[in-house]
Amino acid sequence: MENEPLIQHSYDGIQEFDNPLPGWWKWMFVGSIVYSMFYALFFHIGAPGRSMTDQYDAALAANTRLQFSEIGDLQPTADNILLYSSALAKGRKSWLSVGQTLYKTNCVSCHGLDGIGKVGPNLTDDYFKNVHKVEDIARVITQGAGNGAMPAWGTRLLPNEIVLVSAYVASLRGTEHEGGKPPEGSEIPPWPEPSASAADTPAEKEAEAGQPDAAKEG
Amino acid sequence: MSTVATDTKQASSQPAGEMESFSYDDGIVRLFVTATIVWGLVATLVGLIVAVVLVVPWLTGGLPWISFGRLRPLHTNAAIFAFGGNGIFAAIYYSTQRLCKARMWSDTLSRMHFWGWQAIIVAAAITLPLGITQSREYAEFEWPIDIAIAVVWLLIFGGNFLMTLIHRRERHMYVALWFYISTIVTVALLHVFNNLVVPTSWFHGYSIYAGVQDAFMQWWYGHNAVAFVLTTPFLGLMYYYLPKAAERPVFSYKLSIIHFWSLVFIYIWAGPHHVHYTSLPEWASTLGMLFSLMLWMPSWGGMINGLLTLRGAWHKVAADPILKFFVVGVTFYGMATFEGPLLSIKSVNALSHYTDWTIAHVHAGTLGWNGFMIFGMLYWMLPRLYQTKLWSPKLMGLHFWIGTLGILLYIVPIYAAGLLQGLMWRAIDPATGQLMYPDFIETMPSVVPLWWLRVLGGTLYFVGVGMLGVNALMTWRARPAKYEVPVYSAPRLSKHYEDHAPAPVSELATAPVLEVGKKIEVWARMDWHRQWERLPVKFTVLATLAVVIATLFEVIPTFLIRSNIPTIATVKPYTPLELAGRQIYTSEGCYNCHSQQIRPMVAETKRYGEYSKPGEFIYDRPFQWGSRRIGPDLAREGGRQSSFWHWTHFEDPELMSPGSVMPSYDHLLTDDLKFSAIAPLVKAAHWLGAPYTNELEESDALARRQAEEIAADIVKQGGPAGVHEKQVIALIAYVQRLGTDIFRTEEAPAPSGASPGEEVPGEEAPAEPVDATAQK
Repeated sequence: MENEPLIQHSYDGIQEFDNPLPGWWKWMFVGSIVYSMFYALFFHIGAPGRSMTDQYDAALAANTRLQFSEIGDLQPTADNILLYSSALAKGRKSWLSVGQTLYKTNCVSCHGLDGIGKVGPNLTDDYFKNVHKVEDIARVITQGAGNGAMPAWGTRLLPNEIVLVSAYVASLRGTEHEGGKPPEGSEIPPWPEPSASAADTPAEKEAEAGQPDAAKEG
Repeated sequence: MSTVATDTKQASSQPAGEMESFSYDDGIVRLFVTATIVWGLVATLVGLIVAVVLVVPWLTGGLPWISFGRLRPLHTNAAIFAFGGNGIFAAIYYSTQRLCKARMWSDTLSRMHFWGWQAIIVAAAITLPLGITQSREYAEFEWPIDIAIAVVWLLIFGGNFLMTLIHRRERHMYVALWFYISTIVTVALLHVFNNLVVPTSWFHGYSIYAGVQDAFMQWWYGHNAVAFVLTTPFLGLMYYYLPKAAERPVFSYKLSIIHFWSLVFIYIWAGPHHVHYTSLPEWASTLGMLFSLMLWMPSWGGMINGLLTLRGAWHKVAADPILKFFVVGVTFYGMATFEGPLLSIKSVNALSHYTDWTIAHVHAGTLGWNGFMIFGMLYWMLPRLYQTKLWSPKLMGLHFWIGTLGILLYIVPIYAAGLLQGLMWRAIDPATGQLMYPDFIETMPSVVPLWWLRVLGGTLYFVGVGMLGVNALMTWRARPAKYEVPVYSAPRLSKHYEDHAPAPVSELATAPVLEVGKKIEVWARMDWHRQWERLPVKFTVLATLAVVIATLFEVIPTFLIRSNIPTIATVKPYTPLELAGRQIYTSEGCYNCHSQQIRPMVAETKRYGEYSKPGEFIYDRPFQWGSRRIGPDLAREGGRQSSFWHWTHFEDPELMSPGSVMPSYDHLLTDDLKFSAIAPLVKAAHWLGAPYTNELEESDALARRQAEEIAADIVKQGGPAGVHEKQVIALIAYVQRLGTDIFRTEEAPAPSGASPGEEVPGEEAPAEPVDATAQK
């Protein structure tokens, strides 16, 4: 080090060595520039599937298949809601937990954890304000109610999601917790039993075909 | 025989030039040193307060002026511009005079700079808690303060500095001065072009940029504020004080040339990495990432030159706390400038963005690099400035250790918090494809204990700054009755410099190599740069060109390519009441905790809704995308909750979301809205292109009507009556509008040929100018 060439100038006593650039430093710098050119070319040459939105669309499609290939497209009918509100609903997955996740994402802020009610009504008792039949749950979720007190979710949730979250809400009835909000609205008759025909909707057959596909994506 | 080029000899060896006597102005350095310590205490104390208020929001007692949203900008600005700013001024005023062998050109300008800067800081410290803010990160000050900054920085400080360079007595400019030059011109450029606004009052203005373009400009500024306030001047500081304290020559002159120019040129491009996966066009995002990667080595050039300068002086490091401060500072610089490129990689950023990872990263940089470099410099200067011994070297050593421990206790938990947030937000159950933590609040219990650890780390760091304060105070008290002012003499520089260096001859002259090879070999010796170092004005122009050209490469396409921002026909300007609500949103600093930008990622769209589109933000002045999610994203908040829910939530967030750390905004429920103040907002927005019609004349009446409708909804939803004049109604109007326009179905049929705007109320008017651009 003492033999290194020292540049003859001095600034307020500060001197500088005339050392060359460290080799690793120089080549990593060059490498980062070369890499950047290839990266830019690869992602911006216009090939399909490489842009941010293409990748998102693919991921979303895979996720949708993973979630719903088993059940196809559900209509918000009483049968469907009642079927999926049962923890033992068909398929290996607990569809109720999917409904619960959707509930936690979107509904918990007004209806409280486990549906005990907050600004929104208690969903665990037998009293309802805008629901008379079980399929009304899906209608209220889709269109909203009470002058905007209940927002409309039709543009925000997928049709399947509306059915599944309705099913979860239907399942909350009768699970009354302590500290729940006092009842609002009027008492309505209990939910009916799901009809037998619901058990073999075409969706179930699709599910057989769809599952291996979903497994691949997973 | 002399093979040494004569041009490398000192100016005194030049034949021309009569001897001149001069002394240095150390009084101004003492002023800036004092300000640095005082503002250092303030900045870290306010940081400590916001860290506590973040976890225990009710501690503010409902006082709006000290809520997290208003105080956090005070902390960041105080740390960057008050502590960091005064620190670099102290460094520059001390070292520039000595490197130039000249007193600062004008003592008056020096004092105007000092007092002007302190006045600006005080003005900022008053206005930010009052909610007077542009709500753009690190550029929060409103336009009157911005004008003062431009004048004090560029004209007074920059003018004084450049004149000192011109009147210097040292022929060549040392590398520290190059960094100071680039700092001065670039900060001026960034500050002026980012803060162009149309005033709506003395305390408020609308950015001339909107939405995506505003985001681009703001992060061009924000990123380069880090570069040219917290990096380049500190590298200059390092190049002067580190070899001084170590008494060793700098490792490599060539490395300083290459890393200086590459750093200055490349840094400017990297801004878009702050807005990856947002509505910013993807090409800009890619440029931001790639230039950040290329920036890695230029940044490390500074670290290498710092650390390798200490070769042969490591035994001194073991004994000298000043060198310890420098070593840890430079090491943190190396870590932060490795982490910066890492975080700019899109897939890493997908995880880190909006999380506390960013907060940990910047604190490694500011506490470690900026703080410790300033502390090392101050301890080195104190005995020299006050012409006595440092009061307690032991206390200085203790400051080093407590400061280092403080940094580690701060950053380690916050890195953990950032990772936890990122991983929990994106976690999807592989079996069901559903979010694992669907309710945002579920992530809070994991993070809050880590936030408490940060308070502990911050406290230690603050105590360290206090030790510095005591040491400086006691040293000052032991100063002599009258400072000695040494008089130096050096010859004046002759007008014409005779370059006595022989024409450079390649070492390959006799080798069997192509002529080109010989020329490259000569070029690589960088004698050409030696010439630039003699010409301060040319050097300043070249440094300015480097940043301007790099900027234009990105700015021009961002502003000129229409397809960057595809128009959405249903996106309409805000109503007058919503504009007023937006103003409340910005002045309360909501962006400090809430983003308004949903990224195209499955976990994100499942949680918040459809990802954000560039066309949704064309009326957002300023953009409010935010950089952090202490609370959930709000880009699609409109219509998710009832207005009564919002009313109750603003009154008591914990009631609606148990575990929430959002403070109560009770004052918005009790204070009345000034409806008369809305008209100037509408006028300014219209002037900037929002297609308003009757809103211009009837803003007051329209706002009242909408407020009454919302108040009526609240009553119907079970809330209190008679609240239509309250400020919170405007804020609810704005929040209920967020992200809803793209779901709106076009109400006016407007077939071809229909004259637009006719007999249609303003709000529903087809946005003709917007549609028109869509056709092109």
